[in-house]
Amino acid sequence: MGAPASDDIVVDHLTKQYKKLRAVDDLSFSVRSGRVTGFLGPNGAGKTTTLRMLLGLVTPTAGNATFGGQKYTDLHDPIRQVGAVLEASSAHRGRSGRNHLRMICRAAGLPDSRADETLELVGLTPAAKRKFKGYSLGMKQRLGIAAAMLGNPKVLILDEPANGLDPEGIRWMRDLLKALAAEGRTVLVSSHLLGEMQLLADDVVIVAAGKLIRQGPVDEVLGSMGAAQVRVRTPQAAELTTALAAIDAKVSPQSDGSLLVSGAEAAAVGHAAFTASVELHELVSERGDLEQVFLQLTAGMAGIR
Amino acid sequence: MNLINAELFKLRTTAIWWIMGIVLLPLYAASVLANWAQFANTSPDDAAGTDQAEQVRAALEPINVATSLYTSGQFFGILIVLLLSAIIVTSEFFHLTATTTFLVTPKRESVILAKFGAAAIVGVFVWLLTTVLNMIVVPPIMSQLDLSTQLGEGAVWRAIGLNLLAFVLWAVLGVGLGVLIRNQLAATLILGIVYVIGTSVVGLIFYLLTQYVAHWFENLQVLVPTTASALMISGTELPGNPPRWVGAAVLIGYAIVAGVVGTLITKRRDIS
Ligand SMILES: Nc1ncnc2c1ncn2[C@@H]1O[C@H](COP(=O)(O)OP(=O)(O)O)[C@@H](O)[C@H]1O
Ligand SMILES: [Mg+2]
Repeated sequence: MGAPASDDIVVDHLTKQYKKLRAVDDLSFSVRSGRVTGFLGPNGAGKTTTLRMLLGLVTPTAGNATFGGQKYTDLHDPIRQVGAVLEASSAHRGRSGRNHLRMICRAAGLPDSRADETLELVGLTPAAKRKFKGYSLGMKQRLGIAAAMLGNPKVLILDEPANGLDPEGIRWMRDLLKALAAEGRTVLVSSHLLGEMQLLADDVVIVAAGKLIRQGPVDEVLGSMGAAQVRVRTPQAAELTTALAAIDAKVSPQSDGSLLVSGAEAAAVGHAAFTASVELHELVSERGDLEQVFLQLTAGMAGIR
Repeated sequence: MNLINAELFKLRTTAIWWIMGIVLLPLYAASVLANWAQFANTSPDDAAGTDQAEQVRAALEPINVATSLYTSGQFFGILIVLLLSAIIVTSEFFHLTATTTFLVTPKRESVILAKFGAAAIVGVFVWLLTTVLNMIVVPPIMSQLDLSTQLGEGAVWRAIGLNLLAFVLWAVLGVGLGVLIRNQLAATLILGIVYVIGTSVVGLIFYLLTQYVAHWFENLQVLVPTTASALMISGTELPGNPPRWVGAAVLIGYAIVAGVVGTLITKRRDIS
C-alpha cells in the first residue's frame, strides 16, 4: 500500500441532536491521507449532517471534527485546503456556471483564470456561459466539482456525488475521483450504494442511524461481511465438484448452469481444475450478495426516522 | 475587500439589478412630478389650523422647496435599496448558495460585514443616480416655480449629504432585516408593504393616539424609521417637529441593532 499512516480527517465523538432526533450519535472515525474513503449508510443515516458538521456549516451538539488537527472554521484559506461538493443545486439559477466559479474566486482571492481551468477539468467549457438553470443534473454535479477544485485542495469531500447521474456520468465521476486520489489527494465520498463504493473506495466507513457500524479497508470490511465466492462454468461439472471436494470447497450448482464455489479463492479453484484436467469456460471471484449483507448490518436502522 | 468585491459581483451577475433599475426609474420620475405639482399648487392659505399653516409656510420657503426637490426619489430609491439589501442576504438561502458562501468564508461575521459593505455601496450608487438626475431636472423646475436654483445654499448641500446618509443607513437596515426574515418572498413582501403602506398606517395610529390618548405620543412618531429618515433630511427645522439629529440617531440605532442581531443570528444558524 505505502500510504502514509497520517489521518487527514478526524471525527471525534461527533453528535448532533435535532429536536427529537439524534441524527448523528457519538460518531468517531478517521480518514487516511491519499486514499479514497467511502462514507456509506442508508438514507437518513446522518451522512450529510456529519459532513456539514465537518465543514463548519452545522454546529455539533457534542464532539468535534478536524482537518490535520484544525477545525474547518479555523483553517487559513479553507478552499485551498479542502474542497467540498454538497448539493448539486447550490448555485443561483440566473447566473452562468463560469460566473458562479468566478464569484468564488473573488471571495477567495483566486485569479479568475482558475474558473476556466476547473471548467476544463470537468468538461464544462462548452456550457461555461450558460445559465445554471439550463444545466442538467450531471452538469450541476460537474460544476460542483469544478467549484471544489478551484483552490486545488489536498482534501476533497463529496456528498452523494453519484445521485442523479446516468451510468456514464457515474463512470466519469469514478474515474475522476480515482485520478485525483492518485495525485495524492484525500477523498471522502458519501453514498448509500455499496456497489458504487466497491469500485471506488480504498477504505469504507459504514454508518446507520447516526452510529458507526464498521470502518476499515474496503476488502477487509467486505470480507468480514460476506464470504468470497467463485463462479465457474465448465462442461465437466461432476469432475470439478469431485476435485473441489478434495480441497474442502463447497459447490452449489446454479439455475443458469454455472457453479458457485465457496471456501476457496479463485486461484485455488483454477489450480484444482487444472490438476484434474477439467476444462473451464469461466472463472470469476464474486462477493456473495453484499448489498444483502449491508442491508442486514444496517437493518432496523434504515428508513424514516 | 475581496468579500465586498465578491458580493457586488454576485449582484452584478444576476438579473436583479436591472430589474430594480427598471422599477426605480418610473417611480423616480413620478416622485419628481409629484413634488413639483405639490409646490406649484399649494399655498399657505389652504391649511386649516394655525400650526399647520405655519408648517406649510415654512415648507414653501425657497430653501425648503429646494431641499425637497433636490432629494426627490428618496422615498422610492430607499425602497429599492432596502429590497436589494435584503435580497443580498435572502437570495443566499433562496438559491442555496449560502453553503458555497460559508464554505469559502467560514468566518460568518466577515460575510455579513461584506454584505453590509456591499449594500452600503449599492445605497451610495442609487443615491448618486438620483442626485445626478435631480441636478439635471430640478434647476429648470425651480425656475418654473420662479425660484433661483438655490445651489449656493449650504442647507441644500447638507440635505443632499443627509440623503446619502439615509440611503446608507437603510441599506444596512435592509441587510439586517434580510437576516431576520430569511424567506426571500416574505422579506420582499413584508419590507415593501411595511415601508410603503406602513408609514401611513403608523401615521394614522399615531394621529389617533395623539388625539385621543395623550399628546406626547406625537413625539414618539419619530421612532418610525421612515419618519425618522424624512425628518433627518428635512432642510431646516420645521416648527412642531423634533430636531433633525433625533431622526438620524433613530435610524442609526435601528441600523446598529439590525446589524448586530443579524450577525449573531447568522453565526449561530445551521446551514442545511
Ligand atoms: N435541520 C434538520 N432538522 C431536523 N432533522 C434533520 C435536519 N437535518 C437532517 N435531519 C434528520 O437527520 C437525519 C439524518 O439526515 P442526513 O444527515 O441528511 O442523512 P443522510 O445524508 O445519511 O441521508 C434524518 O432523519 C433527517 O431527517
Ligand atoms: Mg444525505
